[in-house]
Amino acid sequence: MTAETNTVASPDTGKVAASGRARFFHWLRDARQVCRQIFGIPDYERYLAHTAARHPGGPVLSRGAYCAQAIEHKYGKGGQRCC
Amino acid sequence: MNKLVSVALWPLIAIVGAFSFAALALGRGEHVSAVWLVTAALCVYFIAYRFYSRFIADKVLRLDDTRVTPAERHNDGMDYVPTNKYVLYGHHFAAIAGAGPLVGPVLAAQMGFLPGTLWILVGVVLAGAVQDFIVLFASVRRDGKSLGEMIKMELGSTAGSIAMVGILAIMIIILAVLSLVVVKALADSPWGLFTIAATIPIALIMGVYMRMVRPGRVGEASIIGVVLLMSALIYGQTVASDPVWGPFFTWHGTQLAWAIIIYGAVASSLPVWLMLAPRDYLSTFLKIGTIVALAIGIYYVAPPLAMPATTRFIDGSGPVFSGALFPFLFITIACGSVSGFHALISSGTTPKMVEKESHMRLIGFGGMLTESFVAIMALTAASVLDPGIYFAMNSPSAIIGTTASNAAQVISTWGFTITPEMLSQTAADIGENSILSRTGGAPTLAVGMAQILGQAVGGKSMEAFWYHFAILFEALFILTAVDAGTRVGRFMIQDMMGHLYRPMGDTEFLPANLVGTGLCVALWGYFLYQGVIDPLGGINTLWQLFGVGNQMLAGIALLLCTSVLVKMKRERYVWVTLVPTVWLLITTLTAGVQKVFSSDPRVGFIALARKFSTAAAEGKLLAPAKSIEEMQRVAFNNYLDAVVCGVFVLLVLAMCVFTLKICRQALRQALPTAQEIPPMANVQGAT
Repeated sequence: MTAETNTVASPDTGKVAASGRARFFHWLRDARQVCRQIFGIPDYERYLAHTAARHPGGPVLSRGAYCAQAIEHKYGKGGQRCC
Repeated sequence: MNKLVSVALWPLIAIVGAFSFAALALGRGEHVSAVWLVTAALCVYFIAYRFYSRFIADKVLRLDDTRVTPAERHNDGMDYVPTNKYVLYGHHFAAIAGAGPLVGPVLAAQMGFLPGTLWILVGVVLAGAVQDFIVLFASVRRDGKSLGEMIKMELGSTAGSIAMVGILAIMIIILAVLSLVVVKALADSPWGLFTIAATIPIALIMGVYMRMVRPGRVGEASIIGVVLLMSALIYGQTVASDPVWGPFFTWHGTQLAWAIIIYGAVASSLPVWLMLAPRDYLSTFLKIGTIVALAIGIYYVAPPLAMPATTRFIDGSGPVFSGALFPFLFITIACGSVSGFHALISSGTTPKMVEKESHMRLIGFGGMLTESFVAIMALTAASVLDPGIYFAMNSPSAIIGTTASNAAQVISTWGFTITPEMLSQTAADIGENSILSRTGGAPTLAVGMAQILGQAVGGKSMEAFWYHFAILFEALFILTAVDAGTRVGRFMIQDMMGHLYRPMGDTEFLPANLVGTGLCVALWGYFLYQGVIDPLGGINTLWQLFGVGNQMLAGIALLLCTSVLVKMKRERYVWVTLVPTVWLLITTLTAGVQKVFSSDPRVGFIALARKFSTAAAEGKLLAPAKSIEEMQRVAFNNYLDAVVCGVFVLLVLAMCVFTLKICRQALRQALPTAQEIPPMANVQGAT
């Protein structure tokens, strides 16, 4: 299942991606994703990848709607926090 | 090859660790570099992680990567998301790190740096990290259930209800004591107050930006927020020295207490996207950034430890908090060695994101070790300060008076030489009017950090900036915690009220929400206000009440872990949780009973209450109270504290009884009775 999504989700893994610049942008994207996840910031790109893999053709939330919902889920009941 | 590296590496770490401890132990009479302290701690963490956590993972819990985790089972791209183990480790650490590991160790430094260090290290390896790890494990095996739900599942619904009441009570005390830390840090500090006040409009701007202007662009909003925040921090100095705005932002403790109470009520009623979420992002950036900066700073500057290894105050006569090393050290340092609150986090968001069971070792055990490292750094920052400065900042004015000359004289009689000039010079260096009796830990840590970071970047001229940066960093995440905590408290109160009168439990019903929020704020606000006006210095009382409560919660969580192990028929390894449980119960029950019943008015709540009420009845004034009403208030509040403390003790005793009963039943069974989700991956091979 993941194999087919890989071919759809990352068309830039062809020959062009081998160039240094493309690799740098690839790395930058990964770094941004790691930061988002550590700081608990909604990660829309990951959500898109998830829906493409799990529910192809299904309804997809817009960026704004996804973030609004993710923030509501995370903080709606006060969120998790320590002393 | 790997094996070869391992064979060479672990003895090396052990040798470095032993050498660091030797440097600490043998360097008597001279100042030891803080680097040894931090290195010794790091070596302990590495060894504990490599060997002890592996033993727990392989032998005690038998983590099984073929089992499907809740993240895989419910993968919805939103709440349940299988997450890379290093990323989730970072996320989990950001969630558990709060003000606790920064405050407790600073207060405990009054006994010298050694007792605190030892308890942080031993406590985290044998108790704290074990608790976080096993609670996370239990939650993952129970589909991401929360601590309260797991207690209900494994120990019965009565035990669950009792635990919920306890959790709410601890929550209230935590909110009060954290707010008190902020009040003590911001009182009469226009620079600090301006910066913190500025975070409110900054958060609102961020919230509106990521909701309306550029929907969903949280990253952009965060960058704007950080830039604005740093500008406010720098501009704060100008504001503080302004003849009009300076006095405008100079507030007293009681004014600040009311401000925080109103803030808590309003902020927790706003939509989460407007204020809570943006502030939480800001505070998380600042938190991680500052912790990393401090670690680098300590190694780069290598400051000497000015505090002796032990001080005379291990006998219990200390000015920062009263009570002897046993049991009070063990409740003063809670977070950093073992914190019951972590059990709530480990059974909250994190278990919904674990990809494979084996990852929990790094996330649960490793995450807690990292938190402990923060506590060690806080202790270091407090211990590099001149002890005279440390005691001037942390002793209540009832003991050291309100002038620099008086304070210097009193502190010098304790054997820590300090001159009034040094006290006023330190205040001037950090851009404050006075450093006397700035209790609560945060200002002390900020001065220590300012001295360390100042030596690394900017020298003396930057110390004022670094001081206010550190205050901002602490106050920001405490205020976020106040906002979030009030919401959590409100839901818990509504949940309980819903059992009595159903409409009150409806979280969509506005009047019920208002009552819930009002009640929650009133409860913690009362304890906060009492702490602020307490003539004996509120931290003295409230931090210990919090410590007892938090360690009791840890005791409850470890009792749950113990019953889980027994029910899994792993009773061979039950000592892994039983030993820390017993130690926590011994220390906290002793501390709790002493806090209630000790005949020494410096320790016992009832003794102090009696002392004040008897004197009030005779019409005698006891310093530092200024009127008979004030005396009666002190008496009443101490009776109340005694009741709260007594309730904590009873809660834990009740939980012990439930656990014993359940464990005895489980021991009689031949097969495991733990209520885990059966492994779906290999259904036919399921045992």
